[in-house]
Amino acid sequence: MALVDVLLQVGVVVIVGHLLTMLLVVERTDRRRDPERLSAVGRIRSNLTSVAPTLGVLAAVLAINKVVRDIGVELSWLIGVNLTGYIYLVESQFVATVQSFAHPALTTYFGFVYVFGYTFLLTFPVLAYAICERARPLRVLFLTYILNYGFGLLCYVLVVAYGPRNFMPELVDPLLYSSWPQSQLLVQQVNVNTNVFPSLHTSLSATVALLAYRFRALYPRWLPIATVLSVSIIVSTMYLGIHWATDVVAGVAVAWASVELAERIDDGTLSGSLRRWQRRGADAIRK
Amino acid sequence: MSQSANGKSIRRRAVLGALGAGASASLGGCLRRARSVAGWDSMDPVSLRIKTLPADSDPYALHAARTITSWYRAAGIDAQVVPVSEEELLRQVLLGTDFDAFLVRTASLQRDPDLFYGLLHSQFADARGWQNPFGYTNLDVDEWLETQRRATGDRRREVVAELQWSIARSQPFTVVGFPDEIRAARRENYTNWRSANLRSPQGYLALRRVAGGTTERTSDDDSDEESVLRVVGTDRRATENLNPLSVEYRRSGVLTGLLYDAIGHVTSEGMAPWLAESWAFADSDGNPRATVRLRSGQTWHDGEPVTAGDVAFTYALLADTSLGSSEGQDGETAAETRVPAPRFQGRSGLVDDVRVLDDDVVVFRFGDCSPRVATRAFTVPILPKHVWQERTDPASISGIEVGSATEALVTNNIPPVGSGPLRFVQNTPRESLRLEADESHFLFDGESVGVRQGIGPPEFDRLELQVVGSDDAAVGVVAESGADVTWTPAGADTVPRIGRTAGLGLLVHRSTSPYLVGYNTQTPPLTNPRFRHTLARLVDRSYLSTEVFDGYARPAVSLLEGTEWVPEELRWGGTDPVTPFLGTEGELDVERAREEFRNAGFQYDDGRLVRGT
Repeated sequence: MALVDVLLQVGVVVIVGHLLTMLLVVERTDRRRDPERLSAVGRIRSNLTSVAPTLGVLAAVLAINKVVRDIGVELSWLIGVNLTGYIYLVESQFVATVQSFAHPALTTYFGFVYVFGYTFLLTFPVLAYAICERARPLRVLFLTYILNYGFGLLCYVLVVAYGPRNFMPELVDPLLYSSWPQSQLLVQQVNVNTNVFPSLHTSLSATVALLAYRFRALYPRWLPIATVLSVSIIVSTMYLGIHWATDVVAGVAVAWASVELAERIDDGTLSGSLRRWQRRGADAIRK
Repeated sequence: MSQSANGKSIRRRAVLGALGAGASASLGGCLRRARSVAGWDSMDPVSLRIKTLPADSDPYALHAARTITSWYRAAGIDAQVVPVSEEELLRQVLLGTDFDAFLVRTASLQRDPDLFYGLLHSQFADARGWQNPFGYTNLDVDEWLETQRRATGDRRREVVAELQWSIARSQPFTVVGFPDEIRAARRENYTNWRSANLRSPQGYLALRRVAGGTTERTSDDDSDEESVLRVVGTDRRATENLNPLSVEYRRSGVLTGLLYDAIGHVTSEGMAPWLAESWAFADSDGNPRATVRLRSGQTWHDGEPVTAGDVAFTYALLADTSLGSSEGQDGETAAETRVPAPRFQGRSGLVDDVRVLDDDVVVFRFGDCSPRVATRAFTVPILPKHVWQERTDPASISGIEVGSATEALVTNNIPPVGSGPLRFVQNTPRESLRLEADESHFLFDGESVGVRQGIGPPEFDRLELQVVGSDDAAVGVVAESGADVTWTPAGADTVPRIGRTAGLGLLVHRSTSPYLVGYNTQTPPLTNPRFRHTLARLVDRSYLSTEVFDGYARPAVSLLEGTEWVPEELRWGGTDPVTPFLGTEGELDVERAREEFRNAGFQYDDGRLVRGT
């Protein structure tokens, strides 16, 4: 079965990526052994215990995402707005321009990054933050994932939009599928072709990069890797004809909002700032 | 008289007002002037939304729609393409009449002029489904449609020619062209691909199994080895719904055609008996009457016998899926509460009534038509009464009645109980569907078949249908031996790949299902036939067939193109004789287009086409 092959390939490549990156990124922080410090396994255990509620919510969101995806499509045809034509009016043939730089080597690179790189980018921080001393990075990471999927799901229900490869097939090639046809079997398992706004590939990649920056003190070497990879993934969504530039902009906005929100939720400052907002609003009215 | 008196009184009042107070008079005059001006100043830009399918569902539709839109825009029309999924498109267009224009590929058309009756007769202008989706009304056309039903020979030919001229001029729809159907097929398990017409159910019955294919059969005797025909396509609707009456879920009706039998089937020599053993026409009061004898001993897939009662029931159900069940409520008659099926109306409407004579014999009485036209009514699927009589109540969601549709129209009909050569086994929504051969079908009876053209019992034990995301992926699945044939046609850009791959056969068939742009003739400015006529002249169909279809399409003027019914002067001869393109080689002559629109009573404001409202 072709799908199993694809899954196997992705699994192997991502695991190898994890191992190599672990050596590169985490090794140094591990070196100064200090007797009071917990072992890696111990840290993972204590981190997981402390983020367990968040992890539970994430698992629930992913499960809902899986179930709702089919229903969501039906629902979005019922109540959603078809934005495809308007997106085209805004950005016209920008994606076709991106594709005009197509080159077989680039196509291979971006195709690889879109499937393998993306899976790696999303899973690596989970491992890396799980073995660090504090639980906060892992908790914030899970919170941002929850928020990303939440925003995504909401937009997918409210907006019906087809990607550039579906809207201007004569100008935009489905490069991923033509260069690596089996990938379509995998992508159609997790994607519906009316769900392009915003780009979850973009928002999740950008989220990981933003968090790599916030927590750069933890893994300074992870920051450049995450940045390069996430920029590549963001470009690849357009280069491969899957997303509009508009989706990408919206995706970056979702990423930024998710990170800001997640940090505040984790700090417990969200309710405080909400109260401040309210007060300010009340003051404005009084004046 | 009264008008002038009125005018005088107004003037008198105005004069009085002016005398009364100078300031208020000048204000009043100003307002009146503003009103007069406002009466003139209401030019609206003309805008059109073309609904069509995304590239994943249809390899050409979106490209064609965007090219057409670019011509519209060049002519100053605010035009936009709206991609919509196939099921949703049909729902919005055929059931909701929520569209300006749509570009789709129609189902396979029967090559008889009577097909226009269902498509264009004004009696169907408000009907749902494929019955006059354009809302077209034209008394002359109505009359020709009725006349061609009863006329025969040269008289019918003349009427049909008039009819086609009128349609070509008034353009309720624009025929883009007839595409070739491109498929990839593997040769190792089945043969006869070239003559099997996969656009009709019969095509699947014409495939021949290769002895000693990869399904390793020892000899011709029936071994235990199961042979499977694996098909792959992009249309997932059949995995979710197998209701022959659900207009939004049916494309070609091939699968439901294999699950359900009709009384007759279309062959190159005309209608031939299928579920019927024979029929005989007689004249009754000037209208045809047919006595139809069914094949005896046929059973539904659940074991119940197929009877004459089922046949009579089917035609009654198609005419009114509520079977008059809401009659009498609020004092309404059955005619007022009718909920006709959104498919087959053009054909089932030919039938006045069906009487059961005995278990195997039914008598059809037809309306005013010739026997030749009357046999068209024999191609609708026959449904089992014991299943469908439960479905005549208004449809409900969780017990709440919603809208006017009956259960029969909205049920997904899974599992379907038919009498066709294949029966339902299993479905996985959006992914796959499995059918198997039904050996109690009359095709397996051998000599009693009497069916020609290489059609025999299915030579596969199972039919497995797989759904993938795009035509490219479908060809990929066949190339990697994951399937025997692409079930939905692929786009021209897959041709080189099919040609390159060893063991893969390229099938290119001329099709009888054209692409057309349908207009909603009930919304201005599309109500104006001159506007539609000019709109059609903005479309260069030769250019579309070479650029969009890569030459794998034949432009056409009439839906009957390719049949004897099209008069010489209406045939495509490199250009359209009625609505020729306003330009050359895909380049619109903007000045001429503007001239034509001005002649049609429209104006231009800063390059935009505007109209008075």
